[in-house]
Amino acid sequence: MAEVQITGVNKTFGTVEVIPNLSLTVPNRSFSVLVGPSGCGKSTLLRMIAGLEEVSAGSITIGGEDVTHAEPSDRGIAMVFQSYALYPHMTVRQNIGFGLKLAKTPKAEIDARVDEAAEILQLGPLLDRKPKQLSGGQRQRVAIGRSIVRKPKVFLFDEPLSNLDAALRTQMRVELAELHSKLDATMIYVTHDQVEAMTMADQIVIMKAGIIQQVGRPMDLYNAPDNPFVAGFIGSPKMNLIEGPIAAEKGAKVLGVRPEHIDVSPDAGAWKGRLRHVEHLGSDTVAYVEAEQAGSLTVRVPGEVNMNAGDDIFMTPRAGSIHLFADDGSVTRA
Amino acid sequence: MFSWKESGRIIFLLFVSSLIVVPLLATILGGFKSNGELRVSPFGLPQEWDLQFYGEILGDAQFWRYLWNSFLISIMTVVLTLVLGSMCAYAFAQVRFFGSRFLFNYLLLGLMFPFAAAIMPLFLTVRDLGILDTPWGVVLPQVGFGLAFSIMFFRTFFAQMPEELFDAARVDGCGYIQFFWRFTLPLSTPILATIATFVFVQSWNNYLLPLIMLNDREGYTWTLGAMDYRGEYAAEWNRTLAFVSATLAPAVVFFLAAQKYIVAGLTGGAVKG
Ligand SMILES: Nc1ncnc2c1ncn2[C@@H]1O[C@H](COP(=O)(O)OP(=O)(O)OP(=O)(O)O)[C@@H](O)[C@H]1O
Ligand SMILES: [Mg+2]
Repeated sequence: MAEVQITGVNKTFGTVEVIPNLSLTVPNRSFSVLVGPSGCGKSTLLRMIAGLEEVSAGSITIGGEDVTHAEPSDRGIAMVFQSYALYPHMTVRQNIGFGLKLAKTPKAEIDARVDEAAEILQLGPLLDRKPKQLSGGQRQRVAIGRSIVRKPKVFLFDEPLSNLDAALRTQMRVELAELHSKLDATMIYVTHDQVEAMTMADQIVIMKAGIIQQVGRPMDLYNAPDNPFVAGFIGSPKMNLIEGPIAAEKGAKVLGVRPEHIDVSPDAGAWKGRLRHVEHLGSDTVAYVEAEQAGSLTVRVPGEVNMNAGDDIFMTPRAGSIHLFADDGSVTRA
Repeated sequence: MFSWKESGRIIFLLFVSSLIVVPLLATILGGFKSNGELRVSPFGLPQEWDLQFYGEILGDAQFWRYLWNSFLISIMTVVLTLVLGSMCAYAFAQVRFFGSRFLFNYLLLGLMFPFAAAIMPLFLTVRDLGILDTPWGVVLPQVGFGLAFSIMFFRTFFAQMPEELFDAARVDGCGYIQFFWRFTLPLSTPILATIATFVFVQSWNNYLLPLIMLNDREGYTWTLGAMDYRGEYAAEWNRTLAFVSATLAPAVVFFLAAQKYIVAGLTGGAVKG
């Protein structure tokens, strides 16, 4: 059992309040992803769970045990850093086994556990190398190896893939997901990449300026965002958020509709507009439209469609996929 | 062939190294010349290689005693400066504690303190401590005066170590003190070697401090012992030059040994570079 429970946590650096008052439950064995724009306090929150940063107020429990003031190594957590933070003067084997060595684990057991981790991560041939002799992806695997060897209850990842190129990032994403199902541990993963969040998470936590905006499963956030911020953050290309008369007509402050939920036609529809730019991706076609009343809109149509910049088109938002955000924070869908 | 730019650079480097190499060679070769020849041609090769002075000096037990005294004092100074300086600097670099800024600035004041102004109080203190005429009488003041600059350099070096390294080590169960021994020191060989070389050479060549603190001939460093070789009636420069050349060797050996470690980039691979 390793549910992480954060209750009423506040974090203030000097006079700057980074996290005003945050409560969150991360279920046992879940893969929870913290997302939000840069500087919103994701790393700070993760570091408080790790014990690398003191909380200013509030409490944190892991697996029912209060760890608010415990040392990082006593919390049953392991952390993978954005920069990997490998120990440069140690071999891969020593890097992975270092925590066990400090915990005075018998040598034979350290070796066995390092070998086991190396097996899972395919690090076998690299065990005697130093970090500087490894590629970025290999370094990342060593950092992960260092965390799994301690058999933690909770894994903490702070943007572990952001230093990798796109292809490697996709591959590591799959490997991490597999690792999660293999290890059956609780994982908390920080990223500002919403694709990573959507593809890996059981639970997504969206933050903005230290405040949680919404917590839920990826498709729940996609289908039923609580506010325009969440609506714009999840999904790519971004949801169209329309203000002004079109929204007011439906009694809302903001009307949201996703690019993939707009039907286009050359001769009739609810909104008229002129194509500014078209991207042909093969699997879909993404069009950027300057609409007469609605302003700039993005539209995504499946497959290859013959559209060109300068053409006039008509757009109709699909019924059932329109999000109406009212002034008082309530949402209705139509 | 070399381009103009390259040739210019080579000529410049040759010129700069000759500034160092020529006097050095002249000193070493001077030990082989007669006094008369020294006066006429201080820089040329000796007409006749006279091994007498080098032979006498290297065969003299007193010379080896001077050398040993200098060596002992220098090594003690180096070890103490490295140990105290690195530990002090580590505290300044890693630990946030009340008054650390004030304390650090106070230490830096030591950089501006003229050594000559301290001679009198220093002598009295050393005398009261009862370590006059012992190596400690030279070592401790040298360490004291060398600490400010070594702490400054150590701190700068420690401060640029990636912070996530310490975070990762903490998650692995490593505390401040263990981190110092297991990470900071092993990763600091370039700065350790640099400061060691600097302190060693300074101590090796120190004249004023041994002059004040050491009165017993047996405890003399080579800088004081050099007086012995000037000759009884006239200044025998060839003998002095031979002596100086013979004392250079240990400093050069120390420097060559340290040089191997004065290479940057030891932290390579810790973080994505
Ligand atoms: N040690 C510190 N002292 C003062 N302010 C800090 C400190 N650490 C972080 N902050 C501030 O706290 C805020 C949140 O920082 P944090 O690193 O948690 O953001 P983040 O969400 O991880 O951003 P990113 O996506 O860029 O990593 C930022 O405004 C940052 O300036
Ligand atoms: Mg961050």
